[in-house]
Order: sequence, then C-alpha cells, then structure tokens
Amino acid sequence: MASMSGSEDVWIPSVCGMCPDQCGILVHRVDGVVTKIEGNPQSPLGRGRLCARGLAGIQLLYDPHRLDQPLRRGNPEKGIGVDPRWQPMSWDEALEAVVERLKRVRAEDPRRLLLCGTPVSPGPLAFAQSVFLPAFGSPNAFICDEHMLSRNVYPDPDFCEYVLVFGADCISGAIAERMADARVRGMRVVAVEPFLSPAAEKADEWLPIRPGSEGALACAMLNLLLNEYRLFDAEYIRRHTDGSYLVRPDGAYARDAASGKPLVWDAAAGCARPFDDEGGDVAIEGTYAVEGQECRPVFDLLRETVRTWTPEAAAEATTIPAETIRRIAREFGEAARIGSTVTIDGHELPLRPAAAVGGRDGALPAALAIALLNEVVGAGDVPGGLLGFSPVSFGHPQTGLPRWALGTDGDGLLQADVLPYNESDGPPTGWPIASECRPEVLVDYGSNLLMSVAGPERCLEAFKDCFVISVSLFSDETAEALADIVLPDASYLERLDPLPNLPRQQPAAGLGDWVYQLRQPAVPPLSERRLSSEVLLEIGERLGLADAMNARANDLYGLRPPYALNAEQRYSWEEMADRIYQSWFGPERGLAWFRQSGVLTWPKRLEEAYWRPFGQGRVPLRHERLPRPGEEVQRRPQIGFDLQAVSYQVPWHSASDTCENPWLDEVSQSEPYSYFICLNPRTAAARGIADGDPVWVESTAGRRVQGRARLTEGVHPEAVAIAGSGGHWARGMPVARGQGAFFNALLSFDPGMEPACDARVRVYKE
Amino acid sequence: MRKGMVIDLKRCIGCFACQIACKAEHGTRPGTLWARVIKREYGAFPNVRRVSLPLLCMHCRKGPCLEVCPTGATRKRPDGIVTIDADKCVGCRYCMMVCPYGSRHYQDDAHTCFPGQGPNPYEAVAYAEHPTGVVEKCDFCVERVDRGLDPACVVNCPTRARTFGDLHDRDSEVSRLIDERGAFRLREELESCPSVFYLPP
Amino acid sequence: MPSAYARQQSLTDLNLTYRPQREWVEGRGLLVVVAHFFSGVGAGAWLFSVALGFDAGLVISIAIVAGLAGPAHLAFLGRCQRFWRMALRPQSSWISRGVWGLAIFLVGAIPYALPPVRDSAIGPVVLGVSLAGMAVVLAYQGFVYAVSRAIPFWRLPLLPVLYIAYGLRGGAAVLLVVGAVASDAFDIDLLEAIKLWVVVSSAVLVLLYLALARSAGGSARRSAAELVAGKVSPAFYAGTIFCGLVIPIVLGAIGAATGTSRGLLAIIGLSSLVGDFYIKYCIVKAAVYRPIVEELPAPRRYGTRRAAAGL
Repeated sequence: MASMSGSEDVWIPSVCGMCPDQCGILVHRVDGVVTKIEGNPQSPLGRGRLCARGLAGIQLLYDPHRLDQPLRRGNPEKGIGVDPRWQPMSWDEALEAVVERLKRVRAEDPRRLLLCGTPVSPGPLAFAQSVFLPAFGSPNAFICDEHMLSRNVYPDPDFCEYVLVFGADCISGAIAERMADARVRGMRVVAVEPFLSPAAEKADEWLPIRPGSEGALACAMLNLLLNEYRLFDAEYIRRHTDGSYLVRPDGAYARDAASGKPLVWDAAAGCARPFDDEGGDVAIEGTYAVEGQECRPVFDLLRETVRTWTPEAAAEATTIPAETIRRIAREFGEAARIGSTVTIDGHELPLRPAAAVGGRDGALPAALAIALLNEVVGAGDVPGGLLGFSPVSFGHPQTGLPRWALGTDGDGLLQADVLPYNESDGPPTGWPIASECRPEVLVDYGSNLLMSVAGPERCLEAFKDCFVISVSLFSDETAEALADIVLPDASYLERLDPLPNLPRQQPAAGLGDWVYQLRQPAVPPLSERRLSSEVLLEIGERLGLADAMNARANDLYGLRPPYALNAEQRYSWEEMADRIYQSWFGPERGLAWFRQSGVLTWPKRLEEAYWRPFGQGRVPLRHERLPRPGEEVQRRPQIGFDLQAVSYQVPWHSASDTCENPWLDEVSQSEPYSYFICLNPRTAAARGIADGDPVWVESTAGRRVQGRARLTEGVHPEAVAIAGSGGHWARGMPVARGQGAFFNALLSFDPGMEPACDARVRVYKE
Repeated sequence: MRKGMVIDLKRCIGCFACQIACKAEHGTRPGTLWARVIKREYGAFPNVRRVSLPLLCMHCRKGPCLEVCPTGATRKRPDGIVTIDADKCVGCRYCMMVCPYGSRHYQDDAHTCFPGQGPNPYEAVAYAEHPTGVVEKCDFCVERVDRGLDPACVVNCPTRARTFGDLHDRDSEVSRLIDERGAFRLREELESCPSVFYLPP
Repeated sequence: MPSAYARQQSLTDLNLTYRPQREWVEGRGLLVVVAHFFSGVGAGAWLFSVALGFDAGLVISIAIVAGLAGPAHLAFLGRCQRFWRMALRPQSSWISRGVWGLAIFLVGAIPYALPPVRDSAIGPVVLGVSLAGMAVVLAYQGFVYAVSRAIPFWRLPLLPVLYIAYGLRGGAAVLLVVGAVASDAFDIDLLEAIKLWVVVSSAVLVLLYLALARSAGGSARRSAAELVAGKVSPAFYAGTIFCGLVIPIVLGAIGAATGTSRGLLAIIGLSSLVGDFYIKYCIVKAAVYRPIVEELPAPRRYGTRRAAAGL
C-alpha cells in the first residue's frame, strides 16, 4: 500500500511472535499505524519471508476484542460456558489484589503457586518461569507444549536424500525455503501418517497408517535393519551410544569394580574393560561372562527386543503391507550409505543422508523407536541425517558468549544442559499435581490451558477452587471459565523482549548462521495493556522479591560483571535488556545497537552444526521402553469405538488463538479440510454420513465434539482427522467462536499412562 | 516486455502465505481474495495425491474481460498487466461472468474484519483504496512493479515458489524456468493466453 | 454480495469443482434477470403492437422498457451514476451494444408513439429506427451470456435464439393481458394464434437447449442436471414448465375447444409471463463455471528461449 504523505514512514526490525519459530520481521509503520509486516532479509530465520501467521499479525494487534484493561470476575460461579461478568478495574486495583493474595500464599507455602505457560513465546516464558517463580519460591510450572521427541528436529536440508516423516511438519516454518531446495534437488520424502496432512502433501509417497501404530512400523524397520538386512552403523553405535555397554541379567549395566564405570567387552583382549578406555575391538553383539554373570551389550538386547516385530506382525498392527515395510526399511537403510563420508571445510565427516523424523502424535515408546532409526544407521547429528537444536555453542567470535558445551554424566551419557528453563523430565505424573501441596494460585501465563491440555473438564475441576490470574491477550476460554483476575498483556507487536528466540529457536538444522534478535515494539502497548514481564517486575517489587529476581536474572541470562544486576538496585526492563545484550555480545552491541539493526548473526562452526562427530557423549538406546506386539492391542479400537481421532498441524495456524485472527480464519474457510471433521468416504458411507453433514465425534473418555464431515480419500478408513486448533467457545473471541472442532476435548489423561495424542472414538450423524 | 509469473508447484507447500501477503499489501476486504490457493485431490485411497494450486489474475494477453467490459475500465498496459480503473468501472460484473479463473471480485457493502466493530486502524487506512460497487482484482502489484519491485506474493513466498519477470526476455528467470522444467497454464484451450505459468509438482 | 453468509459462501465455492455463478442472480444480482426480462418483453410487445396496430401497446412497451427495464438495469449497477460509460465499447462488448440498442429503440419509439409523428412523413423513419433498436434489444441478451467461455452452459448457439423466442413470447403475452382490458383494440385472435405457435416452439427450444447442454458434457451437463433434478428444479418446474408452458397450452386448448374469453387470454398471458421470467432466472441460476483445473495439464516448453513472441 502506498504510504500516505504524512510525517512518518518507518520500517522497524523486530521478531514475530505468532509461533515458536520467532522469524525476523520488519514492521511498516505509517503515521502511527502498522500497515504491513514483512520478513527481515537479514535474519536467517525466515530469510525475509513470512508465513501466513506472521503476515497476519496486524489483525492481532488491532483486534477490537483484545483485552484492554484489567478485569475482575463479577460472577462467583466458575465453569465452562459461564458468563464471568467482567468488571473493569484499574491496574492499581488489580496489582493490589494480586499482590495481596500472593503475599498470603508466600507466607504459608510458596509452592502453592503454579505457573502454566506456553512455548509460543519462549523468551517471556523464561523470565516468568526462571526468574519470577524461583524468586517467589515455587518450583511448580507446567508448559503446554507439543509432544516430546519431535520438536525442532529436521532432516539435514543440505545433504539429506531420504526422509521418513511420521506426522511431523518439517516443511513449513523458518526452514521452509531450505526444505523446498532439498526437495527440488531430489530429497525423497515418505510420509507415514493417518491423514494426508499439508506436510504429507509434499511427500513422494504417502503411507497411510492405522493411527497409533507408528511404533510398530518403526520397530519392524529396526528388526529388519538390525537382524535381517544387517544395515547398521556399528562404529557409530560403539562411539555415540551405549550400545556396547554390557548389561547384566538384572538389567543394570555391568560396572567396573574399581571405577564404577560401565563395562564393555574387548574382543581382542577377551575381557571386559571400562567404556572409555581407548583401543581394542569393542563388541556390540554376543553374550559374555562378566564376574560369573551372562552379560550382553545393549545393542544386542535391542536387536532381540525388536525381533518380535516381524513385518507381518507390523503389517497387522499398521495396515501397511509387509512388502511395503520391507521395501521402506531397505530403502532407508541403503539411503543412509553407512560408511560414506563427505568433506566440508577440509574436514571429513560421516555422511548419512537418511533421517526419520518423529511423530508429534506418537506416544513415547513410538517416538523412541523412530528416534532409534536414526541412531542405528548412524544418522544422528551428522551431515545428511537428523539434526536438532545444537547443544554446542562457542559463542560470538568477539565475546565467546553464549557458550555451552556437551555435558556427560559419569556413565558417558549425554546431558543436555543448555535449556534455560527446565522441561519436565518425563511424562507428567498426574493431573492435578500429585505433590504434597495443592496449588492455591494458578497463573495462566498466556497458555489458555483449558484448550491446551487433554480433558478440559478435568482441568476445570482441578483448578476451580484456585485463585486464578490470567495474563492474556483475549478473554479466552480459561479466563472466562476460571479466572478471578485478568491482566491484559501486550502482543508481540507492542513489546520489548530481549532474546526472544532463546537458544532453542535457532535455524536448528546444520550449516548456517547463529542468530540473535531483538523484539521491539512497533507501537507502544495500546490502551491500558502492559508488557507481562514488566508486570512481573512490579509484582516482584511489591512482594519484596526484587533482589532475588535480580539474582535469578543473572543466572538465567548468564550476566557477569560489569553487567550483572546488583541485588539492591532496581532496573527497568530496557536496562535489563541492554545489559543482557552487552553481556553476551559486547558493549557496542547493546540495546541501542539491536534497536537499530535488529539481528546479529555469525556463521556456525562445523563443530556446532554437526556436533556429534566432534564430541563425546552417548545416547542411551533404551530398548526396554519400546512398544511390544502385545501392548499396542490395548491402544487398538474398542467395541463401539471403532475409529481413532487424530489431529494435524496446518501451517497457517499455531496454538489456538490464531482462529480469532480474521485473515487466518478466512484461510480456514477457504480451504476444504481444516474446519471439518475428515472421514474416509467408505467409513462415512457405512454410517450414512454425507459430505457436509453435521456429526458428533465421541470418545471413550465420554466427551464429544461437534463438527461437519468432510469426505476425503486422503484419510485412513479407521481415522478421524481434525485440525488441531479449532472449536473455540469463548465470548471474548467472537471470530474464532464456533469455527472448527475442538480436538483436545476428546483426549483423556490418565495418571500413570503414557499420554496419548489420539483418542478412541465413534462418529455419528447429528 | 511482457510481465509474467512462474509458480513452482514442487516448491509450493500450500501454506497460504501468498493469500495473506496479498491481503496485507493491498488491504482487501473480508471475502475478497485476490490471491488464493485451492486444493485438488486425485486418486483413491491409498493412492492419493493432493496438490495445492495458487491462483491469481492470469493477466491474459487475450482475456475475455478485456473484450466484454462495456466501459473500458478494464485495460491492458503495454507490459501486459491488466488493470481496472476504479473510476470508470460501473460494477456491471460482466467481466466476472467471462473470467475462467474466478479472478475478479466484487462487494456491495462495506464489510469489516470484525463484524459490528467498524474498521480498525489498519482497515481505516486500507479500505480507502477499495471502493465498494466496483470490480477489483490482482494487478500484479503495479505500484510495486513501477518502483522496480516484485509483487508482494512473490517476494514473500516462504519456499521461493514464485518468480516474476519478463517473459519476452530469453535470459530472465521466468523464461529459463519455463524452458528448463517445462510448464503449463490453466485452461490453455480457452486461448486467453495467461501470463501465469505453473511448474509441475 | 451483501451478507456474511454470502461471503463465507464465496470462500467455500473456491474449492468446488463446479462453482455456481452468483453475481448475476443472488441478492442485488437478481435485478439483472429482472432487467433482462422486462427489456425482452418490452421489445417483443413493441413488435406485436406495431404489427397489430395497437396504439396503447406502443406506449406500454415504451413504459416497460424505459420505466421498468431501464431502472432495473441501473439499480443493479454498483455505480449507477456512471451508467453512460457502458455505451463506450460497442466494438467489443455486447452490453455496450445492448445499451446502444436500448437508446436507439427509445429514440425511435418515443416519437413514433406520438400520433402526430406517427402519421407524419418521418413516421416510417422513426419506426425503422425503433425496429432496429428493438431487434438489438431482443437479440443482445442471449449474446451477452453466450460469449462466456467460462460458463459452458451459456455458451450454446441456441441461447440467443431462446432469448429471442422468449422475448417474442413475452411481448405477445403482454398484449394478451392488456387485451383483456382494451377489448377491441386489435385482432386478438391473430395474436392468440401467434401466441400458441410461439409457446409450442419455445417449449421445443427449451427441451432442445437442455439436451444440447447435457451432451456438451462437464459443467453444462451439471447445470442441466441442476435445472432438471437439482436445486433449481422447483423454479424450473413450477415457473418455466408449469406456468410458462403447461398452463398456456392447456388453457389454450380448452379455449380453442370451448371458446376463448378475454379473461382466459389474460390468464394465459400472465402465466406465460411468469414462465418467461423463470426461464431467464433458471438459466442464470443454474449456471456453473467450468472448473479452473481438473487433471493437471502436461507441461510444455513453449520455446520461450527461442521464440519469445507469440506466447
């Protein structure tokens, strides 16, 4: 649009906040109005191009339904569908109320404060979780995130030639252009998933699979590779996994009596020795006597574990024909070109141009099996293989910061010590939190948790007796059902966030540049919105936590003198940001420099891009957690509930509040699948369902969602595919309200079980 | 000089960024999509393929819209870009009856993105350039082209699936792509001679 | 398209194989059908008024064209204040030609309707002018639609013939209605005979049209199916067939057997007019666009590097 002949026409470098990818943007502001957002060509994240979400940020900024002032709940009743009868309050009143409550909690037991956050904006979340919360004295945080083992992993866009994708979306986002380059140069994509999703559309081959059986396919492939085809990278297994560690009959590592280190069998010497001794001929197969016990290397046990997964057993579990499973396993194994090398910058590195990318819908055992496919052919973090976020950074050439390195534990196993905030170590142990205290105050930090977790009714039950504070952009489902106080947050276009893309959000894959950016406001927070981080600073001050928060901030951001925050001093948010940047990148690259330039990049070193061949640190093969042929029967369709609902990502939505964005809502309306419940035509015909019919999808958890049926050949006959971001019911989000179907309502969350991301359902006409 | 576009369906991922890039660049009203993406499904389970097909005005050399417009509001520039003069259009919508690609759009009422709320600050600026009661369409971003820039959808495509240039220049990227990869146009048999070429998926 | 539902409909249409045509039939678009109906009927009424020497009919025809068809056309436009611009492209646009036809018709018809002028020396001249304009008005509508290669259901050479036939039908029907009031103003028996002939032949044309559409395949076939068995069929059967063909033929046969009253003829006329409106409505409502793409076309090289011209 041509700029008006006015006094101002500027382009402001900043960072997108519509999804976790944090691409660099340029925001066009003309006479105080944001009129366009474009990608920042200087940023390796996006390279000057933006997805549909990033471009649509303008409508998030100017949505008239945005929260503009703090609100108090007028209706004492809480519940889904209840009218909260919001009463506007001033910031002073709101902060008073919040502080007063938190003071009481802190005096009694600070652990009763629970923070629930969202990974869409990792920078702000880190401040809340790793600065405010510990200063307050609570360890209790829950992040509504996608399933583990499938985030931020990609096939190497520069060298991969064969990628097996299990429902993950590795074709859009910040890496879209490089993935397109890879496809054009000939990288073959095989997509294994129940629905022909936008990601699977680009595959050379779509293998429709019975929902929930991905682990069976991966295990059968492991069986074929390890036992029948004998296509595995023995050297890699010896060096980079615990595959050679000897395991006793009781399941524990056999350990050296003197050092306590795990033992391996040296076939040349004919005896066991500690794993980190050099030389010899280390065995990864066979049975060996150690101190009178029959021990086997972990790899040997893995081979045996997967032996039960014959192609025929997997065919029965997955509905993929056994010949296809054999073919795919052979293709994958041969594509990995075990033993080959490539020379980059004068270094000869292993080349394994095959990758298996984990399914976001898979339960842990399945995800593990898929991850192991990469490990056994030696394709983990080497050229051509599966690449993830790099745990090795030598820092900026001038300052050497930020710096992190691989850590290993006493057993030589890899320790990733780089995330500035703690992700849960394993599956959540229950819901509500099964600790010795119950939460009294819940802070919903932009998470809209009622829509972000499985089983919203259970979530409601767990928290309706809490004092709930929502820090949010909209009066969303969680605010309306649960919140006592709502604080209006500033959107990404109205805020300053230093290091918005914390180390996790780098162009994860392989060669390229490191990138550090600044998010700065294109406009000051409109109306009475306030930046949530500043609100936390204020609350912290009033609670007497400021000293502790300064100390915590020093920890989180690695601030050293002269940039470290002094305990008694008070710093504005800008001052903190300035110190952070100067501390990491030098005095001349403080906040002012980043305001001007927006983006700092420097080339990755080879050891940062492909860290595995250069580093120590082994991955445990964890064979005991793989799925077994009998087990997955309990995940099969049940009587009366003969279908399985699965969700999938679409590249123009992220989390759930993008459905409120009229431009993105319009995309979903103009596209045939994402607002519908997708069924195979034969499945639909058997139930008398025609295209467009209103239907119910009911799960064994006793919940049901409404929607309209879309008949498509691109879905497995046993699957019901629902794009994972619809079904809003909040009055405060009228554009989103009623659009699409709410998938998460179908899920059940049973303490003690692996969280499942699909649900047994039945479908019938309304 | 003849401006044309090449869309590589192998690179295209059906992400709809072009639809929004155009929307944001021109500020079209709700319901009007100058750039849009349709999806076509082929085959029967389990051998199914789906193709995402970005659409826009084809800027045809012999477009039927040019013939049927009774006021001359629709005309073709020397560089081949077909434009609509909003001051001359009477809104008879005859052009919409003859366009084989559904590229033309018309709205009677002044809708806004948020029903019942009036235009927000962005819309207040944007809709000034979209009078109701006249037909409008993709114009290959003439204002950008005249400044030496490529259209917004081209510059923004996350996978670099779109290329813009001079079809008459044998050394241009568009000519090279068409020649090397082979391309097709939609509804070639209608002989309207579109300027938009597609590379096979 | 005025409503939020209509906007959502236009978004859903994008992915339909056969997108329905909506601009010229839904909401304000209905005025196009109304305008075409009145202008065709008015032109036909002029012809029969001149042929049968029915002076009042001359005035009525002009009133229909100028007072009903004209305003309906204008009301349909998005920017009606610029309507005069529509005359600027007669060399290529059938709407421009129609505008000229309408103008020429009125330029000739209005003076001719005045008895002094009619009986004067320039009477035949203005008559000729009015007939020329009338011919254009009768014919142009069909061509407006038939030009569209995007809507195969319209692109049949029979369409202009159908529109002309219905224009004539409509004109005769108007006179039948008027004849109930102005009893001895003209030879109504002749008109009745003409009417019957036109009714029967238009029935044949409709059937022939549908048959041609079905055999044309693809979207034309789909439109014909919509008319005969789909969402347009109620309008088609009730309006075009029943009111427009069955009632006139049946009542006409009854009248031929038992003697026709003026009142009966008026009913035949009115019913016929309803049918005339509905055939035009149905043809426009049932129209669907040719799919933008079916199978992906095979790629070619176009020889761009060797022959840049002629693309």
